[in-house]
Amino acid sequence: MTREETLNELKTVIAPYTMNKEMLNSINDQTDLIRDLKINSANLVDIIIDAEAKYDIEIDYDSADKMINVGSCLDVITEKLNQK
Amino acid sequence: MISTGNDIVVLKAINIARTRQGNFYGKIISVSEKDLYDRQLAGRIPLENFVWLSWSIKESVYKYLQRITPELIFSPARIIISQILLPSDHRATGLEGRGFNDALVYKSAVTFGDHTLYSRSIISEEFIFSVVNHADHFEHTCWGIRLISSPEPAHQSEAARVFLTERLHTLFPADQLLISKSPHGYPVILKNGAQIPIPVSLAHHDHYVAYSFQLKD
Repeated sequence: MTREETLNELKTVIAPYTMNKEMLNSINDQTDLIRDLKINSANLVDIIIDAEAKYDIEIDYDSADKMINVGSCLDVITEKLNQK
Repeated sequence: MISTGNDIVVLKAINIARTRQGNFYGKIISVSEKDLYDRQLAGRIPLENFVWLSWSIKESVYKYLQRITPELIFSPARIIISQILLPSDHRATGLEGRGFNDALVYKSAVTFGDHTLYSRSIISEEFIFSVVNHADHFEHTCWGIRLISSPEPAHQSEAARVFLTERLHTLFPADQLLISKSPHGYPVILKNGAQIPIPVSLAHHDHYVAYSFQLKD
């Protein structure tokens, strides 16, 4: 799976939780989940659980801690997919 | 350095069924905290309330410590709640105050690395609200909770600042105080353009906003 394909799937994971739907179409590696996409911190666990289900991966505590922007989310997902 | 941290979770905005799933709550509470729940709290507080109470305490701890260590990353599994005491009196607490009537609130002790902090929490039918302090007393902690008209992010942020400003004005009527943001993103209070040493924390979720600030150690 290319990074762009992973990004497109990640958008569907994030979409239910963002209050900034317009920005979802133009996200990039630097886009911050809380500051830019206006995702409440209480929904970050939802995103991790949904990503685990979407990609059939397990995201451990250390990896979850890194998932603060789109780029770090893609890095974690790619790393876990490569470990399968 | 004194600090403060608070958080609010609106109960109608959480997914109860999902919260009760092990793969979900396992991202928020540790094995020792689940054991604490099973041994002491099951039957007295629903699991979903315990999970989100834990979250609100841990988020408050993060906000408290981020003021001291700005590069800190929020890592709920590493913030460990070692004790929770339930209220002995179930009357309502009100929505603003200075300090707490300890009989009416949940009390906890929390560790993160070398830090030990203490919390006071309110659980109502609508929300869970927590505040933390480095000492197990809160008589110099001011706090408030308010229902707002819209959950839009811009409105939440503005409503939280207005709410806090109103409270500050009642305490310091002669001062022109403004709420601003530090370069690291946490809120600060400005007087004549300079930051004053009253740490403040803001929180919002869904239709509620909240604040805490610490007047002295």
